[in-house]
Amino acid sequence: MNAIEIKNVSKSFGDFAIQNLNFELPKGSICGLVGENGAGKSTTIRLIMHALRPDSGEISVLGVDNRSPEFQQVKEDVGIVLDEAYFPETLNANQVGLVMADTYARWDAAVYDGFLKRFDLPPKKVFKDYSRGMTMKLAIAVALSHSPRLLILDEATSGLDPIVRDEILELFSEFTRDAEHSILISSHIVSDLEKLCDYIAFLHNGRLRFCMEKDALRDEYGIISCTKAQLAELPDEAVCGVEKSPYGARVLVKRKLVSAAFQMDRPNIEDVILFLVKGEKQA
Amino acid sequence: MKALLKKDIYVLIRQMRVFLLMIAVFAVLPGANMSVFAIVYCGMLPYTAMAYDERSKWTELASMMPYTPGDIVLSKYTLGWLAIVAATALSAAAHLILGHIMPSGYGLTLSEVLPSMCIGFIMIAITLPLMFRFGVEKGRMFFILLIIALSCGGAALAQGVLGSDGEIPAGLNALFSLGIPALAAVLTAISIPLSIVMYNRRKYA
Repeated sequence: MNAIEIKNVSKSFGDFAIQNLNFELPKGSICGLVGENGAGKSTTIRLIMHALRPDSGEISVLGVDNRSPEFQQVKEDVGIVLDEAYFPETLNANQVGLVMADTYARWDAAVYDGFLKRFDLPPKKVFKDYSRGMTMKLAIAVALSHSPRLLILDEATSGLDPIVRDEILELFSEFTRDAEHSILISSHIVSDLEKLCDYIAFLHNGRLRFCMEKDALRDEYGIISCTKAQLAELPDEAVCGVEKSPYGARVLVKRKLVSAAFQMDRPNIEDVILFLVKGEKQA
Repeated sequence: MKALLKKDIYVLIRQMRVFLLMIAVFAVLPGANMSVFAIVYCGMLPYTAMAYDERSKWTELASMMPYTPGDIVLSKYTLGWLAIVAATALSAAAHLILGHIMPSGYGLTLSEVLPSMCIGFIMIAITLPLMFRFGVEKGRMFFILLIIALSCGGAALAQGVLGSDGEIPAGLNALFSLGIPALAAVLTAISIPLSIVMYNRRKYA
């Protein structure tokens, strides 16, 4: 079963549109939703949680159509972290816990208290006095304290320092050690996603450019550093993006379409995305 | 709904201590007008709670949590009702107790305070659907217009119906006693489903 299935979803806002989105998150896996600011990542998450109605298409979460009345029950199984914590600013962590205890049927106060201690979150300090890192940790503590089967994280690591980010990514890895658990995480920090994810989905201008296994993605492409003369020898259909310099060029190519005579480096995910976006702008 | 109500109470107690104290003081001050003020102020508490929700973007997070639109809407009505009933009870108790000690200004009975309570309910029933549809910023404009309309209407009505002795005729008084609670009940019954529709319209706009 897939944790999330999106079929032919479109949503228009006039000047921006999500166009014919198709995407699956297999159960037990972590998928990173990548894209620049305004690419449609947060809109996709709002569509998944039915906080927005699509113009067309279908979305199911944990096997349930998100338009059906049963989806209300599925929300119990979804831990959600948005780009900010969005709790009322005068509440403290203890009060947030008390509110959530009446929100989620499987709320576990002991687990929540454990996270507060683990993250060094003062239980009586009001939320507005928390640092950015502390607010995100509190949101993550809430998301993990009601036995979710799916975590949906929208820019949950942005604006955090590398140490906190690493700590949080480790926590997400722990979560998916259970084969029933899945994560959809959106971010524009590609290195975080590369570290964490099994799948990478790349959204650009409201369109899904690819959704692939991370390793398959890196195997599909190669980077060639070459002279301008060598660049001319490359078949057009193999070239996905070019970065020219006075000394030559770096080229993202489709590995299978290029002769073995060229020496190719394995790209990281950030390379692939940057080349694809630049390639589109140059076209 | 209990969670949402709890959240609003935590927020209001923390943010509105002075305002809540003022309501309590108005409720126990002598004179019928003071009780009406207290009750009307209590009717405004749901808007204040909604304003704090909007400011913290809680509404966005709540739409992804296991709250139904009914939970979200009804929690605001319940908050208003509880506050109005509390102010009414406080006012009635103050008049009952202090009326024995200093009779001047403290003669209201519970049955005389109840119409004010119903007016509070009517205010909530009329304005909350607009708040859910247009948000608190624009919704407050409708609230102000309603207060002006009620004040002008009340003054005109008083001029028209008061007898030469300054008293409301007994028959009309009885009609008010029955009519205002009935109007409050009918408007509330219409208002709640309307607010749910308005909430969904704003959410999916």
